[in-house]
Amino acid sequence: MPTTNEQDERMKKFKNKGKDTAAMRRQRMEVNVELRKAKKDEQILKRRNISFSSMGECLSPEQEKKNATAQLSLEEIVQAVNGNNPELHLKATQTARRMLSRQRNPPLNQIIEAGIIPKLVEFLSHNDNVTLQFEAAWALTNIASGTSDQTRAVVEAGAVPAFVALLSSPHMHISEQSVWALGNIAGDGPMYRDSLIHNNVIPPLLALVSPSTPVGFLRNITWTLSNLCRNKNPYPPLEAVRQILPVLIRLLKHEDKDILSDTCWAVSYLTDGSNDRIHVVVETGILPRLVELMASPELSVVTPALRAIGNVVTGTDEQTQMAIDAGVLTVLPQLLQHPKPTIQKEAAWTLSNIAAGPCHQIQQLITCGLLLPLVELLDKGEFKAQKEAVWAVANFTTGGTVQQVVELVQYGVLKPLLNLLSARDGKTILVILDTISNLFLAAEKLEETEKLCFLVEELGGLEKIEALQTHDNTMVYRAALGLIERYFASEENPNLQPESDQEKQTFSF
Amino acid sequence: MELSDANLQTLTEYLKKTLDPDPSIRRPAEKFLESVEGSQNYPLLLLTLLEKSQDNVIKVCASVTFKNYIKRNWRIIEDEPNKICETDRIAIKGNIIHLMLSSPEQIQKQLSDAISIIGREDFPQKWPDLLTEMVNRFQSGDFHVINGVLRTAHSLFKRYRHEFKSNELWTEIKLVLDAFAQPLTNLFKATIELCSTHANDASALKVLFSSLIQIAKLFYSLNFQDLPEFFEDHMETWMTNFHSLLTLDNKLLQTDDEEEAGLLELLKSQICDNAALYAQKYDEEFQPYLPRFVTAIWNLLVTTGQEVKYDLLVSNAIQFLASVCERPHYKHLFEDQNTLTSICEKVIVPNMEFRAADEEAFEDNSEEYIRRDLEGSDIDTRRRAACDLVRGLCKFFEGPVTGIFSGYVNSMLQEYAKNPSVNWKHKDAAIYLVTSLASKAQTQKHGITQANEFVNLTEFFVNHIQPDLKSANVNEFPVLKADGIKYIMIFRNQVPKEQLLVSIPLLINHLQAESIVVHTYAAHALERLFTMRGTNNATLITAAEMAPFVEVLLTNLFKALTFPGSSENEYIMKAVMRSFSLLQEAIIPYIPSLIAQLTQKLLAVSKNPSKPHFNHYMFESICLSIRITCKANPAAVGSFEEALFMVFTEILQNDVQEFIPYVFQVMSLLLEMHKNDIPSSYMALFPHLLQPVLWERTGNIPPLVRLLQAYLEKGASTIASAAADKIPGLLGVFQKLIASKANDHQGFYLLNSIIEHMPPESVDQYRKQIFILLFQRLQNSKTTKFIKSFLVFINLYCVKYGALALQEIFDSIQPKMFGMVLEKIIIPEIQKVSGQVEKKICAVGITKILTECPPMMDTEYTKLWTPLLQALIGLFELPEDDTIPDEEHFIDIEDTPGYQTAFSQLAFAGKKEHDPVGQMVNNPKIHLAQSLHKLSTACPGRVGNS
Repeated sequence: MPTTNEQDERMKKFKNKGKDTAAMRRQRMEVNVELRKAKKDEQILKRRNISFSSMGECLSPEQEKKNATAQLSLEEIVQAVNGNNPELHLKATQTARRMLSRQRNPPLNQIIEAGIIPKLVEFLSHNDNVTLQFEAAWALTNIASGTSDQTRAVVEAGAVPAFVALLSSPHMHISEQSVWALGNIAGDGPMYRDSLIHNNVIPPLLALVSPSTPVGFLRNITWTLSNLCRNKNPYPPLEAVRQILPVLIRLLKHEDKDILSDTCWAVSYLTDGSNDRIHVVVETGILPRLVELMASPELSVVTPALRAIGNVVTGTDEQTQMAIDAGVLTVLPQLLQHPKPTIQKEAAWTLSNIAAGPCHQIQQLITCGLLLPLVELLDKGEFKAQKEAVWAVANFTTGGTVQQVVELVQYGVLKPLLNLLSARDGKTILVILDTISNLFLAAEKLEETEKLCFLVEELGGLEKIEALQTHDNTMVYRAALGLIERYFASEENPNLQPESDQEKQTFSF
Repeated sequence: MELSDANLQTLTEYLKKTLDPDPSIRRPAEKFLESVEGSQNYPLLLLTLLEKSQDNVIKVCASVTFKNYIKRNWRIIEDEPNKICETDRIAIKGNIIHLMLSSPEQIQKQLSDAISIIGREDFPQKWPDLLTEMVNRFQSGDFHVINGVLRTAHSLFKRYRHEFKSNELWTEIKLVLDAFAQPLTNLFKATIELCSTHANDASALKVLFSSLIQIAKLFYSLNFQDLPEFFEDHMETWMTNFHSLLTLDNKLLQTDDEEEAGLLELLKSQICDNAALYAQKYDEEFQPYLPRFVTAIWNLLVTTGQEVKYDLLVSNAIQFLASVCERPHYKHLFEDQNTLTSICEKVIVPNMEFRAADEEAFEDNSEEYIRRDLEGSDIDTRRRAACDLVRGLCKFFEGPVTGIFSGYVNSMLQEYAKNPSVNWKHKDAAIYLVTSLASKAQTQKHGITQANEFVNLTEFFVNHIQPDLKSANVNEFPVLKADGIKYIMIFRNQVPKEQLLVSIPLLINHLQAESIVVHTYAAHALERLFTMRGTNNATLITAAEMAPFVEVLLTNLFKALTFPGSSENEYIMKAVMRSFSLLQEAIIPYIPSLIAQLTQKLLAVSKNPSKPHFNHYMFESICLSIRITCKANPAAVGSFEEALFMVFTEILQNDVQEFIPYVFQVMSLLLEMHKNDIPSSYMALFPHLLQPVLWERTGNIPPLVRLLQAYLEKGASTIASAAADKIPGLLGVFQKLIASKANDHQGFYLLNSIIEHMPPESVDQYRKQIFILLFQRLQNSKTTKFIKSFLVFINLYCVKYGALALQEIFDSIQPKMFGMVLEKIIIPEIQKVSGQVEKKICAVGITKILTECPPMMDTEYTKLWTPLLQALIGLFELPEDDTIPDEEHFIDIEDTPGYQTAFSQLAFAGKKEHDPVGQMVNNPKIHLAQSLHKLSTACPGRVGNS
């Protein structure tokens, strides 16, 4: 057996009914290792600037070739930037920037190895040469958009303070490019993110947000802000979060979907943590707007808004209640039936954490009509959504009152639940077996054990549970065996063996 | 131990001896090897031998010994010494792959097992080269080597199929994927290419297909936990090739064997599994490929023969279709009428046919046949898979599918009618088809619970089932008879009662059929019909309706037990039990003959009890005979004792462990039938019941306690007068039971009976000791179960001896103890008491403490009066407190060192619930009110104010 991990611990608590409801809530990242492809619907960490002027260069290979031949070679660039000719500085930097903006195979490493980054950083401070500043900023942005090593090359050349200074440049295209570069650096991870924050990036960045800021620029700012909120271990400093939050709330009122999307992502990062982190966010009163955005027609907005709310309900009962009061339960039914399986899955995950709450919250869940779509999802959803729905049902049956559990059964939860016992996923099977055991506890209280036995058998569940007694996972087969012995063993009635005694004729007293 | 020739020689000698059939040579050699296995180099010596020994037997023996050594010693357990020294470990890991790959198959298998044991512990951290070493062999081009590597990889990776997601596991899988996925894919492609270049070389193909099977298995393991990025990116390669392999056929790979699946079947079967995995878990990504697989698998089914060797493939393939056709978004793949017809005609019907293998089982292996057909252990069979597909299709297409099949059923029935003796299998298939089509849900207890409304079950029953069963010859077409009887059995809730009544004599008649399956089914069907419920929860079939058939039913049932192969037939014995229970006093005239036959059977099977269910129902039947007869005529108990005691004595004397608990239960039942006296025959047995050896066996404890309780109920005064010297022994039993967490409640049952029935003076001298024992247990290991029993006991004591006596005995053990018990146990825990009678005893006991115990009114105990009253009201009003402290949650699992003969409680030996305060107090609430009233009159002004 492998050593116990966090999740097994969770399972144990889960089995001890009513022992620790907080532990039933499931944080997003149970496992940090991913086997899957990075999700297409996740927010992008780093972006290269391959926009307008470079577009032409990518149009046709021939043209690209022609441009390339007309320009300087890497060696010439190195010479030029190290020389003293400002005109050549510009020309070389521009050439480098163009190379780095190529759509395919930009030569990031060659540029780094050529050692020109310190020069490019130096050019950032040439306030007298705006074009050079801009080209250098752009080139550095694209280098920073690469791997961690490539980003590091930019940071270690001292780019951070230079870019922070440029945020306040009187030239908008320069401050915009700096925002972008800083976004890439922040996106690298918690270390650089915090180093930006220590370099006081936040005040000048926030100062750029005004009603007159053009939408395109505002999108860049929002994205960079979201990267400043992103990543755990450690989380961004609380002080920084408090500074950023009011601006996020303002941005959340915008109508542009990209701005809304990135703002929601930012909030989702801030809520992806312990309860005190969640607290800082919910106390701003942001939840009603987030819930509203969960119903947005834009998938790119729904995804992070749902994620953020999903994170909030991993928090305390009070925090979950705030999400409920903000109306999350009225939006979830439609999300459980969303055409995108990923949304269904996230919605079910959210629901599973609400179902982990006290029974008055479970009651609200019933009142808002969540049971029907939940059972539907369990029956017909994609497997990853079904898996979350199983958790929702499990939590519901753990924390719900007998009456509530009865209602769930009346909605027909048993059939799809039992069908999923043939899932190819040991953990899901175990959770279902625990849920069945919860259902039996409720049935016992109602003296309806026999009826439940009947239903389970009629729906083909008994056969599946019997087959699970040969499952390769010990926990699964034990759980299956336990159910059989407890509820389905016919006449047999095993008893327990006491300690053995002496061989005398009679007992002495 | 040096790696020397001398040591190799010694080791060879000892290994040889371990193969000796003579234990006096074998055992010491095994002991010796065990004694030296801790020495350094021992495993290396074994490896040297298995590689270099001249003697093949020694090679194999060394490899087995090596594997077992690894199995026992490789794992390093915390706080225990490392049993294999580090240099040996490194040397083993350095050599074993090479050794495994260069060894002949027999040894390769052992080493491969050893590698997976080592891998389980050391891979990946402590065996970092393993993966690279394996992957490098892929390029060897030698497929014997490659197959060895693949097998090892499979044994290492197959745990990914059942272990739970964890960081550790996924990190390992990621590592494996990074190193293994690409080479595996390359190997897969290369192997497939080689298959076409060697398409005419049978022996090469065999090796290559073995590789493909292993590769397909590895694919399943590596894709099980989640869809890895690599495989998502290479889905096209894998799925296209899997798809074409499904459609591939090569004469050279076909085997002559009818039973054993060949390589081609195994490979296709695994591919079906792989496709099913993707369809179930990664639907979104797999969707583009799915229709192609549906078509391929369906074509595969159409072209696959009836031989047993294809069973697994066919059942896997059908299950794949069954799981897909239920999904709403794949509905369209099946919707077309031609498709449906074709699936019904070419996939379902052929796989429902009764095959030669089924016929063989029906005749020669009836037990297995019955288990499969009746008890649903047919999960992997074709028929079952076909049934599941019918049900799956009916989810969306019930009407059309029923229509298609109705045509088939009719034509098959016509075929049968033309020439029954040749075409009876057509009718069998027709019945099976109707059954699978009509049954939408079923349970063992109720048969079919939901039926297809398009099928007229009664009509089919009257026209096609009954005629077969009415035919004069019960031994003709036994398979069809069994089908017909099974039809009645499973559709018993759909067929109207008058038809069931018509069937009963037919079923009784078929108890005489020679075929084991037929008479077993007849018995089972009767038993099931007799358990059906009608209005008012009574049985649907009444004793009156059965009156004309009593004699023939009983006669035929017992006659059926005389057929060869059915002498211990549990279905028949269960039908006997159920018939007794239904017929009640109607069996009394036949009792002398019945009990004679039962005791004879009992005597016969007690020589070698082998069928636990048969035995159980036999004892149940005996109990029923006793109850039914003695209810009408209590004096008859003597004749039962006369008939049974001889056999019982023999069972007890021969110590037939399986039967002893039953015997005690029957004896309890008999003894309880006596009116207030205890026959001397029982008293003679009394001392023997107290023998410690009997109490050693878990299964004996509950029935023995029950029997002793019966002794106390009927013969307490006799025991006190004639067997007073046995009282310490009796209490000794109590003491033993009370010491065990598992059995303490049984100890309390006994103690309560002693308190209730024994004359007080006979136990006076022991009373204090009893309380002391209970306190010791309370101090040492207090459990909720113990406290509950303890509370019931002290309250019973209070009811029996008075509240004052209870207070005095506590305080005599230690001053102020009574107050402590009230405060620490009764008041806080009384809510936990469960059971109506138990609660009543406690209520009456506490009422007495409140109202009949002067120290409660005028000592320091007075302060407990109000809390105690509150606790009592809580017992009346509040729900039971069923919480259990954390540490006790798993108590019975931890305390179970594995159990012996299970105790099987006989339902018909059941004891009525006994209420020791029944006559005294009817309603404990009213009793409390009255007692309080009395008290307040006696002590005016005290009660209301406190």
